[in-house]
Amino acid sequence: MDSNTVLLGVVVATALAFDFTNGFHDTANAMATSIATGALRPKIAVALAAILNFLGAFLSLAVAATIATGIVEAGAITLTVVFAGLVGGLAWNLLTWYFGIPSSSSHALIGGVVGATLIAAGTSAVKGAGIVSKVLIPAVLAPLAAILVATIGTFLVYVITRKVPDGIRTRGFRIGQIGSASLVSLAHGTNDAQKTMGIITLALIANGTLGKDAGPPLWVIVCSASAIALGTYIGGWRIIRTLGKGLTEIETPQGFAAEGSSAAVIFASSHFGFPLSTTHVCAGSVIGSGLGKRLAEVRWHVAGQMATAWLLTLPAAAIVGAVAWKGADLIGGAGGVTVIFLLALLGGVGLYLASRRSTVNAANVNAEWTGRTPAPVKETVR
Amino acid sequence: MNAYLDLDALWRVLVAALAGGAGLVAVFSVALAGLAATRPTSEGGGGRPLGWVVAVTGFLVVAAGVVLGIWVMLAK
Repeated sequence: MDSNTVLLGVVVATALAFDFTNGFHDTANAMATSIATGALRPKIAVALAAILNFLGAFLSLAVAATIATGIVEAGAITLTVVFAGLVGGLAWNLLTWYFGIPSSSSHALIGGVVGATLIAAGTSAVKGAGIVSKVLIPAVLAPLAAILVATIGTFLVYVITRKVPDGIRTRGFRIGQIGSASLVSLAHGTNDAQKTMGIITLALIANGTLGKDAGPPLWVIVCSASAIALGTYIGGWRIIRTLGKGLTEIETPQGFAAEGSSAAVIFASSHFGFPLSTTHVCAGSVIGSGLGKRLAEVRWHVAGQMATAWLLTLPAAAIVGAVAWKGADLIGGAGGVTVIFLLALLGGVGLYLASRRSTVNAANVNAEWTGRTPAPVKETVR
Repeated sequence: MNAYLDLDALWRVLVAALAGGAGLVAVFSVALAGLAATRPTSEGGGGRPLGWVVAVTGFLVVAAGVVLGIWVMLAK
């Protein structure tokens, strides 16, 4: 095995690992509200989201072999930069998951790539205007748009159905909520699995395995779809808890309005080419659903922590990306990349073990909100 | 500012999102209210058949909106 093959292998493995964290980080976007309102049992919800993410990955027609287009100079993107960017994104995803904070996987990836590019090719290779227009401004507008839509939607839902008997109302909105949450899952699969496919395809092209304008081979599509679906099924319970219970207490009509708003904003932004992060939209919708019912039901300090994390996403992932690139570069060659990969793996395992000390899972995800992690569930003796 | 912000796209997104996210959500609620109106009331009043028309029309509009949404997303 020559060093190019090793490098390629490590990049593909890292991309799939990122895809996996992308999946479990974003389960919450579609399913947190359905789990919180009891419209779906937790395990059923994550299974449904996983299936829809898998299907969504196959539905997308155009996979662009581009990464961070318009944000860094295309010429500056080498395999090592892509790798370091992925490590930066991965690290931020895992850290925010540990703290139960929903944050954008795309922004984390972009941050990682920007950091790696900065140190690899210098400031001239990074387009500041691109960062402002494609990352910073959308990060502010996405939650605002979602809050607006969800607030109006929730308000209308409660006004229109105030005389509807509880039975019909709850059952009707549960079905509606499952439907709209499914749409969010499907949209997530089409958009996010595509990114990983694009990265792997890019790596294959850079290696000469694929022709210059080739699309992704079937195995790439299957692997990416499986990684994101598996991640979704594993479920980022810590994040689901924050989004479903932490931001606001959600009733079924609110959950329906929130998911409806998320689905509409995501579909609209994807159609009109205004890049909004699914995570930012969904968090905004949940806040809106709290505002629409009665003001001051939102736990603003939780929202504040979340917003802080969003601001930190780009620089934090960029630092990790830069360090990862520098480390791989100092050691040199495929060996350097492999060492960094193993270090990242070690860090991931460490965070996982740390999370075991205060597990959030399907059993306690809906426990009373007292802080971030709920009281541990007693192990059931079989 | 316009170099950084595609105002045109933003407006379209907002309008479409409001139509889908608040509009269709409201239509679904109206349909549920229609469904509820078909039930006999507890005071002995009969159910109103007009409710069925409202409910079926409402659910169809929502379904059409969802299909349009998926179609639009996949047509990219």
